[in-house]
Amino acid sequence: MRSTNTHLKFMVALLVSLGLAITAYQIFVIGIPVTEDATDNLWTVDAKVEFQAQSGKPVKVNMFVPPMTDNYVSLNESFISNNYGVSVQRDNGNRSLTWSARRAKGKQTLYYRLVLSKRYGGEAPKAKGSIYRESLPLEGPEKIAAEALLSPIRQHSADVETFISETIRRVNRPGDDNVALLLAGDNSVEKKVQVIDLLLSVAHIPMERVRTIKLVEINSQEPELWLRSFNGEKWLYFHPESGQQGLPADRLIWWLGEGELVSIEGGKKPSVTFSLNSNELNAIRVAKMSDEKTDASFLDYSLYGLPLSTQQTYKIMIMIPIGVLVILVLRNLIGIQTLGTFTPVLIALAFRETQVGFGIILFTVITALGLSLRSYLEHLKLQMLPRLSIVLTFVVVLIAIISLFSHKLGLERGLAIALFPMVILTMTIERLSITWEERGGAQTFKIAVGTAIAASLAHLLMTIPELVYFVFTFPGVLLVLVGFMLAMGRYRGYRLTELFRFKAMLKDS
Amino acid sequence: MLNLIKTWKALSAQGIMGINRRNADYVLKYNKRHLYPVVDDKILTKERAIAAGIDVPELYGIIETEKEVDKLPGILAKHKDFVIKPAQGAGGDGIIVIADRYEGRYKTVSGKIISHEEIEHHISSILSGLYSLGGHRDRVLIEYRVTPDPIFKGISYEGVPDIRIIVLMGYPVMAMLRLPTRQSSGKANLHQGAIGVGVDLATGLTLKGTWLNNKITKHPDTAQEVEGVQLPDWDGFMKLAAGCYELSGLGYIGVDMVLDQEKGPLILELNARPGLNIQIANDAGLTKRTHAVEARIAELKKKGIEETPEERVRFAQEMFGHTARQTPSA
Repeated sequence: MRSTNTHLKFMVALLVSLGLAITAYQIFVIGIPVTEDATDNLWTVDAKVEFQAQSGKPVKVNMFVPPMTDNYVSLNESFISNNYGVSVQRDNGNRSLTWSARRAKGKQTLYYRLVLSKRYGGEAPKAKGSIYRESLPLEGPEKIAAEALLSPIRQHSADVETFISETIRRVNRPGDDNVALLLAGDNSVEKKVQVIDLLLSVAHIPMERVRTIKLVEINSQEPELWLRSFNGEKWLYFHPESGQQGLPADRLIWWLGEGELVSIEGGKKPSVTFSLNSNELNAIRVAKMSDEKTDASFLDYSLYGLPLSTQQTYKIMIMIPIGVLVILVLRNLIGIQTLGTFTPVLIALAFRETQVGFGIILFTVITALGLSLRSYLEHLKLQMLPRLSIVLTFVVVLIAIISLFSHKLGLERGLAIALFPMVILTMTIERLSITWEERGGAQTFKIAVGTAIAASLAHLLMTIPELVYFVFTFPGVLLVLVGFMLAMGRYRGYRLTELFRFKAMLKDS
Repeated sequence: MLNLIKTWKALSAQGIMGINRRNADYVLKYNKRHLYPVVDDKILTKERAIAAGIDVPELYGIIETEKEVDKLPGILAKHKDFVIKPAQGAGGDGIIVIADRYEGRYKTVSGKIISHEEIEHHISSILSGLYSLGGHRDRVLIEYRVTPDPIFKGISYEGVPDIRIIVLMGYPVMAMLRLPTRQSSGKANLHQGAIGVGVDLATGLTLKGTWLNNKITKHPDTAQEVEGVQLPDWDGFMKLAAGCYELSGLGYIGVDMVLDQEKGPLILELNARPGLNIQIANDAGLTKRTHAVEARIAELKKKGIEETPEERVRFAQEMFGHTARQTPSA
């Protein structure tokens, strides 16, 4: 007995922890959303490139496109361009796009469209970069100004991170003569970045320019310039003017380095305008789409890998254990009596086709009529098989009549009865009448009410969309359920109804 | 909520057994499934009992097929009164009790006159499974009609009162006298409205009773006190019940017995899932007693001793016959 107990406890612990581990893995590592309603923004970024072609010359347009190595993943990329050949290259962490045509004339418009969303599945590639560089050459007054600036910065900083933010702060401080000398009257961001770059190079701190696009729905925006530096572990991002640290989550890195966004041969006056818009999409669909685009095929072996029609069936089937759990709790913990163990679950399934309210009325009416017919047949002393056949036929006729009447009355509900509920009805009537014979009318009534309650509860639980989604997406939960059921198999405590049943025993004492 | 927890604690302090505990710790543990037919089929029970030398109502005959219905006059010829029963019936359904003959016809206990053809029809209904659990084919049992001892006259309404003793591994742990009422229509089933009256294991004196989960002291139909009735030949009942362990092989059973006017205690049937209301009738919890028996068995096992039914009865009477000492005047 003791060894079986240990065995049981081990099994319960194993199943529960396995189930939880699988679910946790799916949620935290793979990143599958916990609820179906969790929507994700799906961004569509359009970059419109316009330029004036010089007639008679071959045209070659080069544009940086997002390298897609950060927190976003591209779901779809398209290049809309008549008569242009398109090629994509990667170099130095950048990705660039080349449109080329032998000849073009007049104003040209090219489109690049990117559909992206937050990254699901797989991990972002590991960051790597250099942590040392040579100083830029510096002479004369600039050298003195730079050194004058750097010594207080050194004093006020502890590491690379604080050094950079201190540098940015000082460069942006108005009225500093040394800064003014280095800026040489040019107060643009580009110039400031150049100065920061210079100062950092003296301290041998590498620095990279990052051009970002903000994911907001506005129709025109310029890529924003950020700085980043590698500290040996990860990239540190800085805003060159405000000194703000860390790249906000809604920034998409478009390209790195000093290059221009677009460069052109055989044309002039290139300009790029960005327009963005977002769609809210069901999170699991985004996950599915990104799954197709990336190597991490985490959904391949889940139930989402099944054909859609089969998925529908499984969405119903996978909820049956939940229904069974309801019955288990109601019977063994609460102590409600039901008709058999699984009949309530079957009735709950039948309610899918009839709806609960109407289903209960229908079941009550037909069962009551069926039972009265059966008790009449009782007087005729028929054998079991003929008796059962008569009851079944009667149920069919009754259902047909109900359907007919409700149709005439314009209640389409009545037509909802399919084969399945009918079989369940007959079975219920037969079982109820057996109970009636064995245990009397009052008991049967109690059991019938208990069954109706259990079935409705099971049905309600089995049709909660969030729960269906959760169990369907994380079937590991079923293992936890089995663990609970195993533990219930050894539950020895009182049932709730027994507390009332034995109440009389406490009166005297 | 707090009240419920209090109730829970009080019940478990009294050692009241719940259904979950009965199923997990006793029915599942001590009753092997393959032995169930012995108690579900009254013919098998009777055959086993006869082989073990345990008293049962005398078997007049068995009818197994439609063809054998022809044997009926031969079986009935020697007997004026008899009982016809389905072997696997439940809740007392399908039982006909014939008390007398009347001009070639039969007269039931309630005074109804029925013909031989009607009896034959009833028998073929039983055979087709009209009264068996789940509608399986069944067999018919024709046996001796028990005449209840007149001692129960004042405290029962129609029907035959019976005595149930719960037996764990051959040790009687609790006993109850079940008295039919008008509501139970002569049946001795507690959930059909019969009353249960606790019985002191040592003396066979009745205690207070239970009716529909309540405690009572008087029979609802006859208004007689149910307490303090001395059951005759009590030790006979106890020995009979204790011997049912060897007969059935089931470790946790309810033994249903009757007291016949002439033949004394007889076994009627065994139940592999005895109900729990016996606790209310005795105002005592089963768990305490079953634990005491389990401790005794473990102790004896260490010593390598196996007790005879008589020894087991003595142990149970010394251990659980507490009420006599508490109310010596009763």
